[in-house]
Amino acid sequence: MYKIFLCFRYLTRKGIVLFPVLAVWLCVMMLIIVNSIMTGFVNRVRDAGRSLMGDVVIQSDSMAGFPYYRQIQKQLALLPQIKASTPVISGYGLFNLPEFQVNTGVQVMGVEADSESKVSSFGSSLFWQYKAPMQAVQDLRGVGFPASRKKLLAYAQKRLLAAAKVEHARQQAFADLKPVSSHAWFASIRQHWQVIAHEDYQQAVYKENRADRDLRMVQALPNRSFVNAAALRKAMVPLAPTFVPPPQAANRYMTASDEPKSGCVIGVDLGLYKRDRFGHYHRPPGVRFSPVIITMVPVTIKATLAQPQSRRFVIVDDSRTRVYAVDSKTVYIPFHVAQKMAFMQQQDLLDGGVRPGRCSEIQVLVRHDSSEVNILAARKAIAHVVHQLELLHPQMEIAGIRVRTWDQVQAEYIRAVDNERNMITFLLGLMSLVVVIVIFLIFYMLVRDKTRDIGIIKAIGGSEEGLGVIFILYGMLISSAGAILGLFTGVWFVRNDNWIHDHILWRIFGISIWNRKIYVFSKIPDQIDPHAVMWIVIFAILAGLLGALIPAIIAARQDPVEALRYE
Amino acid sequence: MNNVQSNTDSSAPKPLLELNNINKTFRLGPADVRVLTGAGLTVYEGEFVALVGASGSGKSTLLHIAGALESADEGSVMFQGQDLSRMSRRSRHRLRNHSFGFVFQLYHLLPELSVLENVLLPAMVCAPWYKACIRARPGKRRALELLEQLGLKDRLRHRPSQLSGGERQRVAIARALINEPALVLADEPTGNLDPKTGQTILDVLRGLHKGSGQSILLVTHDVNIAAQADRVVTLRDGKIVDSTPSVS
Repeated sequence: MYKIFLCFRYLTRKGIVLFPVLAVWLCVMMLIIVNSIMTGFVNRVRDAGRSLMGDVVIQSDSMAGFPYYRQIQKQLALLPQIKASTPVISGYGLFNLPEFQVNTGVQVMGVEADSESKVSSFGSSLFWQYKAPMQAVQDLRGVGFPASRKKLLAYAQKRLLAAAKVEHARQQAFADLKPVSSHAWFASIRQHWQVIAHEDYQQAVYKENRADRDLRMVQALPNRSFVNAAALRKAMVPLAPTFVPPPQAANRYMTASDEPKSGCVIGVDLGLYKRDRFGHYHRPPGVRFSPVIITMVPVTIKATLAQPQSRRFVIVDDSRTRVYAVDSKTVYIPFHVAQKMAFMQQQDLLDGGVRPGRCSEIQVLVRHDSSEVNILAARKAIAHVVHQLELLHPQMEIAGIRVRTWDQVQAEYIRAVDNERNMITFLLGLMSLVVVIVIFLIFYMLVRDKTRDIGIIKAIGGSEEGLGVIFILYGMLISSAGAILGLFTGVWFVRNDNWIHDHILWRIFGISIWNRKIYVFSKIPDQIDPHAVMWIVIFAILAGLLGALIPAIIAARQDPVEALRYE
Repeated sequence: MNNVQSNTDSSAPKPLLELNNINKTFRLGPADVRVLTGAGLTVYEGEFVALVGASGSGKSTLLHIAGALESADEGSVMFQGQDLSRMSRRSRHRLRNHSFGFVFQLYHLLPELSVLENVLLPAMVCAPWYKACIRARPGKRRALELLEQLGLKDRLRHRPSQLSGGERQRVAIARALINEPALVLADEPTGNLDPKTGQTILDVLRGLHKGSGQSILLVTHDVNIAAQADRVVTLRDGKIVDSTPSVS
């Protein structure tokens, strides 16, 4: 009983205990933050990578692709574990946007918009066909449902007016910013204020544009009432994405014959849009519905280059997959057009035969929970289907078809990021050994400071074990207090990291660690892994115990008479 | 053997503590210092014995050996007929807690605890953990009685640093008495106090002895203080050289 009592007294009446508590607290907080951000980063990369291609990919080693893809798809549809599949043409090409004088090499992806969006995140990566209407539904939630079109229009107009007022005020504030003093220090502050004021103005412009976009979408709504946000979303978000240019695209062209027949989707980071510090893309008017010329260089099945194929397209949308390597280099066009441009379409041969159409890959989505085991089982079943067809059609075997899971395709990249996370956590863990040493030193000092107390406790009948328990319990309480504080503050920090970064680090101190202009993710990726957090807390408590162990043994072994004489 | 013992008449009180032929050597650097060389002493139940001697004569060491805080190199220590050297560690801890009450020259109170908590500490050492709740603290009533008796009723919540030397020593006495020990071992309890306060402390100890027949073994180098005990035992060169009833 006296052990617990003395432990609490030492804990509550000794100021020095704050130091080990602080050390454990900061260490636990740091480990939770770093682990959560790295986990968030790895998982975002994995998710983004996976969402690009479904669960399993059937690919050919040959640039000329592989035939009988429709037969493969038909057979796959019969497999119970397969949910959907889609063929893709992939090739290299040139992208020319004459009005903006942009010429760049790109990867051209020919996709079937409808089935592609079932397998991958293609549909939800589109701005005009998915993200913008979703944003509008979000913005219009405050209208109060049920809402008629008239009510929605009034609400959207009110929002636009308010946004315009804010934009005007911010513009004024930016223009009115006067120098406080000519002193260099004040000048640097003013510069920072100017940057912030300009950013505020940019944000206001962004919000005004968004409100304007919302209003246009409401104007396009049918004249009926919407019972809730879900009904509004149903009316606003198209059921399936398409490459077909919408009617308003025609306004961009003098005559109907000027307007290209096919639409294309550009990667958002192709260089046409500016991105601000907050990760918002500023889409200049005029890019959408612009005509572009895409040139593909087909490869024949004999692996020779054929005549380059150029076609005009109209930009109907932009895609953001969150994988920079994809968004900065990819242009999507309709599958059947890409197939023709790449010379992969079905061809009639002179001998009366038919050369079947080809594709570069088939992306497959697995049914159920898409766990690793399910995906591997599905991969095996798909490989079997492909093998059976290869036996029937020897041309397929020549194409060198490989069936791989999404993480096998991206193994190198994901493994590198994964290793990075493990290495950083390990290094921080090593640094945390410092905490054990800090606790040890402080406890050692405490035991020396308490030498006489140890003598007194022994004189009144306290045992060696009892004294050991006092100091071990003391260590455990200190590390537990630090670990709990670290747990709460760490979790709080992770949950508010973006806010802390933008409103405290940047606005007050002018420090920007996470610049959205550079990083692919518009927010600091964070994901708390409860399992890892639990181990961090357990490790911290054990570290406290370890640090207290040797001083506790010293205390227990102290000779009472010597301890009483200690000055 | 130079042991000088009081008579062993059958009507005499029973011996409480018997120290026989105690030898103790300390190593100080390269040299061995023989502190006790065959010292022997008996304290009887209800007796107030003063152990006197010059500084470094081994008084405190003998007291520590008597109180099971230190072990002798040779010789035996019998307490209530039990040989301390044959006791287990646990039994010796229990003995220090239940049967001995220590009062030190430098008071030795725990600075983080209040007066009441310091007095209660020995009672808590032997109490089970589930009585940790403050209201259920064992011996609280006795602690309050003792502190009232010693004139510290108004100082219960004070810390040792807020008390005078005399008050601290009275707290130490209350702590020594909380478990109603068979023997109080006082090591120069007045050594750090002015004569007037020292006398007050001595009066407290004498009052205990007279009132409840408390056995006390008091170590002092002050002959005037020793004279107030029932018997004065003199230690010189590591041996007991004289044991005479006090004249007071």
